[in-house]
This record gives sequence, structure tokens and C-alpha cells, in this order.
Amino acid sequence: MGTVLLDERVADTAPGGRPIADLAPHSGVVMKVPPKFVQSPRIQILAQRSRELAISGKRRLGTEDMPLGDHACWIHIGPFPQLDELPSRANGYEATGESWGRDYAFLVDHFPVDIHRDERIVGEIHWEMHMVRQYVWPDSVREVGKWAAELGASGYSSGHTCPDLAIGLSQGWGGILERIKESREKYVRLDNQPKASYLYGLQMICESVIGFIQRHAEKALELAQAETDPWQKQTYQRIAECCAHIAVNAPRTYYEGVQWIHFAVIMDRVVGHGNGYGRLDLYLIDLYRKSRAAGELSDEEAREYLSEMFLKLRGQFFSLGGRDAELKDATNEMSFVVLEAYDLIGDYNNLGVMWHPGINRDFYNYACDVLARHGESIPVLVNYDLMREAELRSGVPEEDAWKVVYSGCQWFCIPGKEFCDQDVNSINLISPMKRTIAAAIDRGITDFESFYALFDEELTLTARALREWKNSQYELLGSLWPEMYTSMNSHGPIERGIDMVDNRGVDYQYTSVNILGIPNVADAFHAIRKLVFEEQRYTLAEVKEATETNWAGREPMRQRFLNQGKFGNDLDEVDAVFVRITESLARILGSMVNLRGQEFRASLFHFQGHVTPDAIGATPDGRLAHEYLAHGINPQVGRATEGLLATANSIAKVDQRKFQGGTMQIELQPRFFDGKEEIWKYVRDFTEVFFKKGGIQVNLNIMDLKKLQDAMDHPENPDYQNIIVRVTGYASRFICLPRSYQKEFVERMNYEGF
Amino acid sequence: MYEALSCQVIEISRGTMHDGPGLRTTVFLKGCPLRCLWCQNPEGMSAAQGVWWEERKCIRCLACVEACPSGALWDNETGIHRDRGKCTLCGACVEACPSQAMTFTGQEWSLDDLVRAVLKDRDYYEAFGGGVTVSGGEPLSQHRFVGQFFRRLREAGVHTALDTCGSAPAAALDAVLPYTDHVLFDIKILDPALHQQFTGQSNGVILQNLMAVAETMRQNHWGRTLSEGHALRLWIRTPLIPDATATVDNIAAIARFIHQNLRDVVERWELCAFNSACKRKYDKLGLTWTYEDYPLMDQHSIDALERVALAAGIPREKLVVSGLVAKASA
Repeated sequence: MGTVLLDERVADTAPGGRPIADLAPHSGVVMKVPPKFVQSPRIQILAQRSRELAISGKRRLGTEDMPLGDHACWIHIGPFPQLDELPSRANGYEATGESWGRDYAFLVDHFPVDIHRDERIVGEIHWEMHMVRQYVWPDSVREVGKWAAELGASGYSSGHTCPDLAIGLSQGWGGILERIKESREKYVRLDNQPKASYLYGLQMICESVIGFIQRHAEKALELAQAETDPWQKQTYQRIAECCAHIAVNAPRTYYEGVQWIHFAVIMDRVVGHGNGYGRLDLYLIDLYRKSRAAGELSDEEAREYLSEMFLKLRGQFFSLGGRDAELKDATNEMSFVVLEAYDLIGDYNNLGVMWHPGINRDFYNYACDVLARHGESIPVLVNYDLMREAELRSGVPEEDAWKVVYSGCQWFCIPGKEFCDQDVNSINLISPMKRTIAAAIDRGITDFESFYALFDEELTLTARALREWKNSQYELLGSLWPEMYTSMNSHGPIERGIDMVDNRGVDYQYTSVNILGIPNVADAFHAIRKLVFEEQRYTLAEVKEATETNWAGREPMRQRFLNQGKFGNDLDEVDAVFVRITESLARILGSMVNLRGQEFRASLFHFQGHVTPDAIGATPDGRLAHEYLAHGINPQVGRATEGLLATANSIAKVDQRKFQGGTMQIELQPRFFDGKEEIWKYVRDFTEVFFKKGGIQVNLNIMDLKKLQDAMDHPENPDYQNIIVRVTGYASRFICLPRSYQKEFVERMNYEGF
Repeated sequence: MYEALSCQVIEISRGTMHDGPGLRTTVFLKGCPLRCLWCQNPEGMSAAQGVWWEERKCIRCLACVEACPSGALWDNETGIHRDRGKCTLCGACVEACPSQAMTFTGQEWSLDDLVRAVLKDRDYYEAFGGGVTVSGGEPLSQHRFVGQFFRRLREAGVHTALDTCGSAPAAALDAVLPYTDHVLFDIKILDPALHQQFTGQSNGVILQNLMAVAETMRQNHWGRTLSEGHALRLWIRTPLIPDATATVDNIAAIARFIHQNLRDVVERWELCAFNSACKRKYDKLGLTWTYEDYPLMDQHSIDALERVALAAGIPREKLVVSGLVAKASA
């Protein structure tokens, strides 16, 4: 069976509760953050194990040549040994939920059971469905994709939603299985074969999950019987009891609740997509209070269970704070415990704190303190009220809108009720901009308003291409790649017999579209307005030729375009162009509906398109072809010269209620705060004003630039092993990133002061 | 009705954290009566408009040389050069430059525009307990403007701070102080002869003005209110310049002066460690700078000066050291 490669010395050290004398010498890296909580020896061992897995590449995402980070939930132990026996390979592939479910169940049934010494939270995965089951679109669909890509629209659907884990936490896997069987019987009786077949697939998945958890109980019992150390024996016994219970039933205690969530998330990661998981503080508060009242849970234990889970999951997107159904502050004791669990271990995570004006002051202060001390953009700070209003604006009713949760990079959704294709689709605005310039030359346009009207037309063309492209996928998505596991913890799929990605499987199926290059286009349009239409210094034909030839032989012209006012400096004239483009996006996308009859929504973000500029070419904002595009809603690197407040003001001019997120990404150097104490207060005061002005999300890295530059060349230096940065929407260990990402990150450190 | 005033600005710096309490916008005004050898804003010395050139931004297209109607510009391998005698400051070169390498040293701002510009960050001033600071150059050299500017800011509820070298007619101070919440007052060198040597002027007027500020504060009952309901606060600042101000004798003398004359009104004495970041500005102006090769001060020297200050009776909590310090190993 596949056991995880561990440092023998660590694996063989004494169990928790006892000091381990020789941990420090070979632990290599330590958390260089002023601690608030002291790690117990047990957590030190588990943290070290987690770090070693990450640094040794066993949690690498992407390929060896192009690693995207070290935040894989699964642990590499080699290819799936029974690959050839996978039902869809051995017995023939079918594009159905039943076939998908059979593969999932087969995969999980062949998972090894990993229980390590010193652990209280158990469960690991080693393969994803993507590695074993084919996901191939027919040529007819791909042709639509090629056509759309030429017009600047792209993106294959793949997950990116958020289950409502409260369903399983209250019903248990047994309860969910009963509902699946009941629904299946109904559709069999009514002779709805496709639905009955889909539900059979769900049933196989649910049973495999139950079986996997039960096997942990069995294995833990075996280990307990062979164990002589009393502490470890007792720990195995507790694991066995816990797993035996939660395999079928709803958790009864806080410990069982954390273990239940851990399994729920890793089994979701088996699908292999970037989901968020909801409001961890609300999920756990009842069990926490119950266990506290029963006197069976100490503060330290409450923290440590979650720390353990984070170390094993590599974080994942969970949210805290926000409001409740009555729109009162939803912060509770668990909100603190979750942040403390991160504070205890640092390292990788993706927690989001949902701010609103009435948020518990102590909690928001602590969130800013954690962020300032660790400096690794954890937690992400988001504006809850704007997210809720964005959902309301799309048509989500009041009774659901309050449930909104920050779920991934920059996006948010209603857990278990929304499948919106977040963060996978994109419109590259450079494409309609180039067509606009060409069309304006053809038609002899001589004023900016007519020019902009042409842009609206071209943008509409791109948006329609995206619609055709997405609809061609939506016709097949439910059979090609359903989100069956996630559908079990969603509202609708079981009773309706429809997967959440299929038409009307869940209530809200807006299509979200990331937009690449808005700041570049805004800067370009402003420069064109000034230099072509107002000063008539250049013609559009010259602009077209110059950008198509990467400004060759036209450096003075490029400088002229580069030195016009730029977005991000609180210049009303340029910012107005930026806002106008966002309004066009909201209007054009909002006026189109997808196959499900629901609107398209723009997201002012792009998770990595800005680091692959080569195909895009030079742009009239003075950008050379090889230079990165602007990152999401942030100014092009090097163009925000008036400081952070000016950029924040520029960004806050956008009406974020009309969009699906748009992050202000801030990289500061520690010397920014030289001589200042209580840095967290700066974080708090800045973000609160920014949010009140209309900002929706702040990602803040506080990083020593020299250290990062050096880490690029000396990744082996122990000091650099543990640096976590927020790349775009996600966090990663700096040394595990590809050089191009590292370079982009280092270059964007551009705020010398507020 | 307000007067249609305008001023010459060298820079507006947003989000500053070192020019008074909280988070601020600092407006640097042009023109200064002193000629400190270490001046950090040399483009702000002259009240007159000027043109400067930045090598880093220049693409050597020579559009400026071609555009100059007076033949005042020429280029060679070290850059673009200007004959100050021939230059009429007509701005043709600034207009011709595509890359903003050739620019004016000052920009004219109307009172209305400047008020509007600094109010953009008003919400941040409130959250951070900050406001607007005028610095320079010497802001009192444009005292009529500064007085009105502060008056407008005060009406808008924005905290005002004056960062002054103190060298100005008493009337200038009188025009500004009623609308000022906070004074950052430089004492560079106490010895009049040395002051003359390093700054081009003696410090008689400066110390008189400082005593006048103190007197205003006392008359208005320090800690209570000025006539318009605002307490005036005073911070002394001393730039630590190697071999000039950062000597044991000078720091001891300033410490004694503060302790003897101002201890009831001075809230903070800030020792600002020297750095040579402004060398770039001297390069842009085509000037050489006495201090360009001076290293950062080391912690040992700063500690020694701190001890001198404390020994003279300055309370620990009033003494602040700011600025960059060389690492011990460097």
C-alpha cells in the first residue's frame, strides 16, 4: 500500500505531549513570525511533515517543468496502480453520470488508508479523477472554441463552485445515501431512466465515501491493538471510534465535526477542481459549543484539530465573519478559533474574512493582526455587503443572498446553490480593442465617442462568441464531467436527479467571466483619445502599425503613449475610461443569458492570463509585447506612481455590485512600516476605508523584496523554504513557483508608501 | 469670497507616515531662504521655475535640443545639458520630450485645485488620525497661500501641519499659525556661526520664531484650545547630518535649549537620520552634492547622540529617532 514518504526520524519521534529534544536541529525551517500561540511538540511534528511533503514536490500542482504551486491536496506517490482496471477503461467509456460515479467509486475503493503516528485528524488522497478518467470534448464543440478564441473568448468548464457542507454535517453520509436511494426509487418507478441512472452513480459515490471512512476505523483499530505506547494507543482508538461513527452518521462532537469536514473536503478534491468550502465558523459553532459545554474540548485542542486539518488539506478556501440571516454580524467564537489555528502554524492557507461595518471589532482586529504578522495575504479580506448585493443584483432572493461566501481567488457564491463556472472563462479585452482600432481605421473614425461605440460593438461580438462557446459546452457538461460528489452536498441535484452543472440542477447558474487587460485597454483608450483624437499627433493607422511591429523604430511615439495619464493614480479622466469599460462589460454580459436562462456576469480578475503575454503583442498603452499585462483590476506594474491610496481610490470608483469580484493586490516591503508599531492598525484602517469607498477585496503580501530575489536563485536556502505568497487568487510557497511567476511577483512590488 | 491664489508646488506626496501624526498628504512648496548643504529637496530651494532632466527616463531622441528656440540645450555622451544663461524657461523642451525626462521643477496649483486634490484622501486622514502637511522648500515663503490653504482645510475638518525651517518674517508665521494644528519645527544647528556656515544664514530669526510659536501655545494654554477650538502641537525635528548637525556638541546644545526653553510645549523631538536617496535630484539638476558619498549612520553613533540628549534632560518618551540606519554588519 502506498505510504507517504516521511523523514524517518520525525515519524519515529515521541508522541504529542512530550518535548522532543532533537526536533529543532533537523526541522530545518521554523516560522519566523512573532508567535501568539506556542506549537505543541505534536503540532511541530505534523507541521514539519507537511512542509517536507510540500518542499519535496509531493504536493506540486502542474508539471515538473511548469509547477503552479505546492497547494495540491493530494500527495504524489506514483500513478494509480489499478488504472487499467478502471471501469471506463476496462469495460468501455460512457459519457454518463453513472459511468462517472462508477469510476469515482472504483478509484476511492482502491485508495490506501494512511494513518500516521501523532495524528488525530486522518485521511489522505493520492489521485484525482482527472488523472484517470477521460474528459474529452467532441470536435464539434472544440471548433466552436477555436472560433471563440479568435474573438478573445475562452475557457473550459471545470468545477469552481462551493458545496454546502451543512447538509452532510446535519444528515451524515447515511442520511444523504437514504435520500439518493429514495429519489432513485422514485425515478425508477416513474420510468425516468436518465435520472435513475445518474442517481445510481451518486449512490456508488456515496457508498465509496462511507466505505473509505469505515476502512480508516478498521485500520485505526488494528493499529491500536498493536500499539504499546498508551497515548498513541488511545489516539488510534479515538480515531477508530470517530471514523466508525461519522462514516454513516452525523458528527456528535467538535472533534468528529472537524474530521467529518476533513473527509468531505478531501473526497471533493478527488474530483480535482478548485472549489471553495463555505463558512467554517458557522459549520462548526454548534458542535464547538456543545463540546465546550460538555467539558470535553480545550482551547488548545479546538485550535489544533483545525491546524491539523489545514496542514493536511493545504488550506483550502474557507470563510469567516459576514452576516447571518437577519443581517446581524455572524462572527462567533469559532471565527476566532479558525484564525488561531492558522496563526498557530502559518504556512499555506486560503482563509477569507468577510468584513462588514458591523463586524465584531476584536475579530477584525485579530484578522488584521494575523495578516500583518504573517504578511502572507492570509486571511484575504473581502467586503461582505458588496458580495451580497452583487448576488441580489443578479436575482438571488434575500433568503439566499445572505449565505454568500468568499469561495475562491476573487469569487463568491451561495454554497450548494450556485454553479457559475467561476474563474474558468475569460474574455481577453485586447482582442476587441485591436478589432476596434482596425474597424475605426476602415470607417475613418475621427472622434473618441464614435471610437468607443465601435468598441462596444466589438465587445458584444466577443461576448456573443463566449455565449455560443459556453452553451455548446453546457449541452454536454452534465454527461461529460458532472460535479457529482459536490452535488451530494448541494440543494437540488438529489431530488431533481440532475447534476449541479446540468441545466437547473441547482438554482443559480449564472456564467462568470474573468476579464483580462482592463487597465491596459483603459490606458490605451485614454492615450488614443489624447494623442489621436484631441492632439492629432498620430493617426490610428500609425497606432495599429506601431503595436503590430512592437513599436520597432518608434520609441519616441511609444514613450508618448506610455507617458499619458494611467489608471491607478486617482486621475478622474483616466479612471472614468476604466469605469466606462467595466460598465460596458456589465451591460453587455448582463444582457445575455446562457442555456439555463441566466445572465453572464463579469469578474474583474484574471488568475494568470497576465503572465502569458506573448500571444497578445504590444498595446497602445505603451506596453511592449513581452511585458506582462495588468493583473486583474490592478494597474499595470510600474504605472501607479502616486502611492497606494491613489490606486485604492482608482479601484474603488468601480461599482463592484455589478461584478463577480475584483481584487486589489498589494505587495509591500517590511520597510514600508519602518519605525511604526502596531502595523495591524494600518492594515485595519486602510482596508476599512477602502471597503467603505467601494473596494471588495484586498490581498496583502508583506515581503522582503531582496529576500525574494535571492530566493529565486537560492531556493535551497533554509530561510526561504517557508515563504508563502499570494500569487493571484491563490497562495503558494514562493520557491515552488515557476520562475516566470516568481519574476512577475517580484516585479510587482511597487508601493513605496501609502 | 476667497482670493484666487496659486502656489508653486514641487511635489504632492500621498499617504506619508513621517510628516506629522497619522497618515497624511504632504505638499512640498517651492522656495527656501536657507541653503543647507545637505538639502533633500534641492529643486525646492529656488522660488523661481526651473527645468531639470532625468537620465533614467531619457531616450536620447534629442527632440528637446531640436525644439529649443534659444539654442540653450546640447547633448554629449554624459547627457543633455542646458545653458542657464540662454534658457528662457519657455517650456518648448518640456513639451517636446515624449518620455517626461525633461520637466519643470515646479507646477503651479490654484488654491481650489490643491484643496480638491488633498481632500481625495480625507477618509484616510480621518481613519488614521492624519491630515495635510505643507513642507518644502520653506512653506512660509508662500505664507499667504498656506494661510488660506490651511483655512480651507480647517473648514473641511482636516488636520493641518506646518513643516518649517523657521526662517521667515514674523508676519508669515502670524498668517499661518491661526489655522495650524501642528508645527514641525526644525532646529538644525544651535551655534549661530555654524548655522551660518552650513545653511547660509544665522539662526537668530529661526529661534525667535520658535519662541513665538511656543508663546502662542502658552497664551492659548497648551493642552487646551486655540481661539478657533484647536490645540496647537509642536514637534522639533533635527536632521542628523554627519559632521554637521550630528555632533555631540550640537545635539547636547539643542537638547539643553529645548529643556531650558521649551520643555512645557514640545511634545516630541525627532532625530531624522541622514540618507542619500536625494542624490538623484542633484543629478537631475546637474549639480554635485557634498553628501553624495556619505554612508548611512550606524546605530552606535545614533545611540551616542540619544544618550547625550537624554543626559540633557529630554524625557525618553519625547525622543524619537527616524530614518534609515546602517545594519551593524555593513
